[in-house]
Amino acid sequence: MDLQAFYEALLFIAERPLATAELAELAEVPRLQAEGALAALSEQLTDDGRGLRLQRMGEEWQLVTAPELGGRLAAYAARQESRLTTAALEALAVVAYRQPCTRSEVDRVRGVDSDYVIRTLLHRRLIAEVGRRDTPGRPVLLGTTFTFLERFGLTSLDDLPPLSSEAASLAALSAVAPQADEPAPAAPEPADVG
Amino acid sequence: MSLEPIPIESEGSAFQVELEVFSGPLDLLLQLIESRQLDVLTVPLAEMADAFVEHLADHPVAADELADFVSVASQLILLKSRRMLPAEPLPAGLPEEAEADEEELRRRLLEYRALRDAARELAEWDHSRPTYRREPREEDLPETPEEALPPSLLSDALQRLAAIPEPQPAPPEVVPREVTIAMQIAALRAAMGSAGRVVLQRVLAACHSRTEVTVTVLAMLELVRRRQATVEQDELFGPILLRAVRRGAAS
Repeated sequence: MDLQAFYEALLFIAERPLATAELAELAEVPRLQAEGALAALSEQLTDDGRGLRLQRMGEEWQLVTAPELGGRLAAYAARQESRLTTAALEALAVVAYRQPCTRSEVDRVRGVDSDYVIRTLLHRRLIAEVGRRDTPGRPVLLGTTFTFLERFGLTSLDDLPPLSSEAASLAALSAVAPQADEPAPAAPEPADVG
Repeated sequence: MSLEPIPIESEGSAFQVELEVFSGPLDLLLQLIESRQLDVLTVPLAEMADAFVEHLADHPVAADELADFVSVASQLILLKSRRMLPAEPLPAGLPEEAEADEEELRRRLLEYRALRDAARELAEWDHSRPTYRREPREEDLPETPEEALPPSLLSDALQRLAAIPEPQPAPPEVVPREVTIAMQIAALRAAMGSAGRVVLQRVLAACHSRTEVTVTVLAMLELVRRRQATVEQDELFGPILLRAVRRGAAS
């Protein structure tokens, strides 16, 4: 049995995202083999310019239409959804890039209370509660959802536009800092903001 | 650190910048810097204090966000005030406190800028190239009745509702009878009548409530105090004779 073809067919009829473990069990193969076949299928769909793509969110997979066809499919499949505000997009970006992250991390990066926009994003299922952090208060951790990938035409979180400016800026900042008139002590700036 | 002033607003020329609607204090600060084509990496943030506060004064923010803006404004003002003080020589090797504060704020600005730019990019992708998944099959959806529900269901329900007896009207609100001393004085006078006397117990027997009894006794005492009546009681628990004082005799 061709594992790739089997998964293509299985995900075609699946009405919900399937987990890697589930897919391995259904094909009666080790998990690692299942993952390899899924990765190969994903690659093949992209390389051959097919109308479908494999979308991955963490440990779950689903077959979706290709992002580049989205605009033309909209006439048939369009779901009317209002635009997101700038504030909502910013909060969404923080969650997407920093996930899993807490509400207070979103507040901190934006410098403003984000409670309302986060509730909006939760309501629209663009983000979801994915667990709790093991720190005092056990704050809720937020992450993005399949709905987020679908709406923005991403096949996985790896497709997010890179945060190009940040890494470069922070590196430049570290380079600028020692130019102060006193020779600064060699205190390396913590570069891991992520 | 260079202390050269940076020309932010040339005097006389009204330098007006139309900023986008800002989504927070960091956004405002960043836009003020960018609108002046200054480099976030190098601009002394203290220089932005006036512009930040002025812009806030001209464009008030919602009250629930004001605290966040004031927080950043106060940091800027602190930076500015430190720059205005004469520099004190610092022990070598001690990191300058002001510099640490400024770098912290700058770092937050840079982090915010990176995510703001990513958000802008995401905004362009929003709905421009969506992917679609298979819609759930009918059998996956929650059970719905096979046939349309008969409209009689509604009318039947209405009739069942009509069969339920109307709730009993609530009893009229109980208003406590208000008895005043003045009322009972008048009652006592009436009871004494032309004869000018009455046995108090007889009046009390006609009272409807304990309160009325109490007030009537108080009314009697009031009459005695005003010397408009006298009371006599021959034996303990015996009849109390209330006698009106004739006007002529009293005064």
